[in-house]
Amino acid sequence: MVLPESATDTLRDGELPGPYPVGAYAAQLKRRLLEFARVQLVGEVWGFRSSAVRVYFELRDGRGALPCSMWRTDFDALGTPLVDGLRIVVGGGCDYYPGSATSSPSFTFAVTELHVEGEGDLLLQLERLRRRLAADGLFEPQKRLVRPLLPRAIGVVTGERGKARDDVLAGLRRRGWAGRLVWAFAPVQDRHAAPAIAAALRELAAIEEVQVVIVARGGGSLADLFAFCDEGLCRTVALLRVPVISSVGHHTDRTLIDDVAAVACSTPTHAAEAAVRIDCRAARSDLLAAARRLDAHGRRAILDRARALGHLSRAPRQHVARNRRHLHQLVRELRASARRACEEGQSLAGVHLLVLGRVAARTRGSEAAKRARELERLSLALAAHDPERTLARGYALVEDRLGEPLPSAATARSAGDLRIRFHDDTVDAKVPISDG
Amino acid sequence: MADERSYEAAVARVEEIIRRLDSGEAGLRETLGLVREGRDLVEYCAGELEAVSRGLEELKLEKLVARLEAERTASEVGARPGTEPGGREGNR
Repeated sequence: MVLPESATDTLRDGELPGPYPVGAYAAQLKRRLLEFARVQLVGEVWGFRSSAVRVYFELRDGRGALPCSMWRTDFDALGTPLVDGLRIVVGGGCDYYPGSATSSPSFTFAVTELHVEGEGDLLLQLERLRRRLAADGLFEPQKRLVRPLLPRAIGVVTGERGKARDDVLAGLRRRGWAGRLVWAFAPVQDRHAAPAIAAALRELAAIEEVQVVIVARGGGSLADLFAFCDEGLCRTVALLRVPVISSVGHHTDRTLIDDVAAVACSTPTHAAEAAVRIDCRAARSDLLAAARRLDAHGRRAILDRARALGHLSRAPRQHVARNRRHLHQLVRELRASARRACEEGQSLAGVHLLVLGRVAARTRGSEAAKRARELERLSLALAAHDPERTLARGYALVEDRLGEPLPSAATARSAGDLRIRFHDDTVDAKVPISDG
Repeated sequence: MADERSYEAAVARVEEIIRRLDSGEAGLRETLGLVREGRDLVEYCAGELEAVSRGLEELKLEKLVARLEAERTASEVGARPGTEPGGREGNR
């Protein structure tokens, strides 16, 4: 089906074209509307409502109105609450829901971008300035500064009557820090704020004892916080000799001073804790422990070595004593052993003696009998040769007067005086001279 | 030299010294030297902690600046020949 492209097409034949199916016409209408250029519109919000997937509102001004809608997820991501009468700028294009047999058609301006009027200009301006500062390398110098762990003096730039002042004090109390705090009170949101804050920062940085500076301000609209996006202020901060810790607005706000500062914190309390990076009470406790350990090492360095030297000096004496004890023990064992050996030897000798005695006794008896028998034999042999036994058988022995036997007649003649011995007695005789 | 010290550097050095001593590798001479250096650093750190423990001293910038300028003026006047310390300059 081809629908006429324009009204002139329908007039050419003098009658209205169609009839066309309404759905086809509605689809054609949707296509035509989508071809409309995407634009930005400005007006006031009316009748804001939301469903699960989209939000709806009307954008009105004195001459007309337009129904608008936006994806719920896109709207929630903006974080901009809409109330009736708020002037906003929306970006998007026309859209048309052709409906169906059971649902109504609807026209809507499909919003893809949204911001509060005026804010967009500020944001754009801010973004341009951010890029310029970044291009000039002003985001880095503060980050390169050394932030002391424990500053003796801290400068604070804030509003005199703001809550930020109490929050800074609370943060410092939480750290247990009670040093010197230099307050530089300045306006924090009107057109005089930026120069005043910059002047205060310069003066604080000129004081030698100030080692870190906090710039703190509570929350507010972007317009309220715009003083902290001032180019002059940001350039001053970037080139200061002391580190600057910023805490401006809520955690969702991001001002330019946050970009150029050494550290950007979400709250003034956190800024104070970032200025004093240690818990002073814990640090005192740690330091005491370190001092004790050093003392212990110092004492032990001497005592341990003295103890070791003493041990070494006693070692030779103990060695000698130990060996002496060992030697005495050996001597005692030797004596005991010798005594035992003597006793055992004596015991054995006694046994031997006994045995020998018995053997000797036995031997002595048989020898005596043998000798007696021998003696008797010899006696008998001797007796057999005894002249007395011959005399007893009747023979007589002729001797001289001296008792010498005269074995021959010649010796008898020469002796002259004879003695004739019989077995029972002797008889003297004389050889006659004639024989002689 | 003491002005060049910083609390964080001193604490880091003390921790390094204690680690070295705990290792037991340091000889007697080195141990005594490290203990002496450590005690000196602990004393410095204690002084820094003491400085931020005496009670919060809150000053307003303008008053502090005025006081510092007065001190500087006094020291300049004191240094000028023929002027008594603490003397007032007539035209200021």
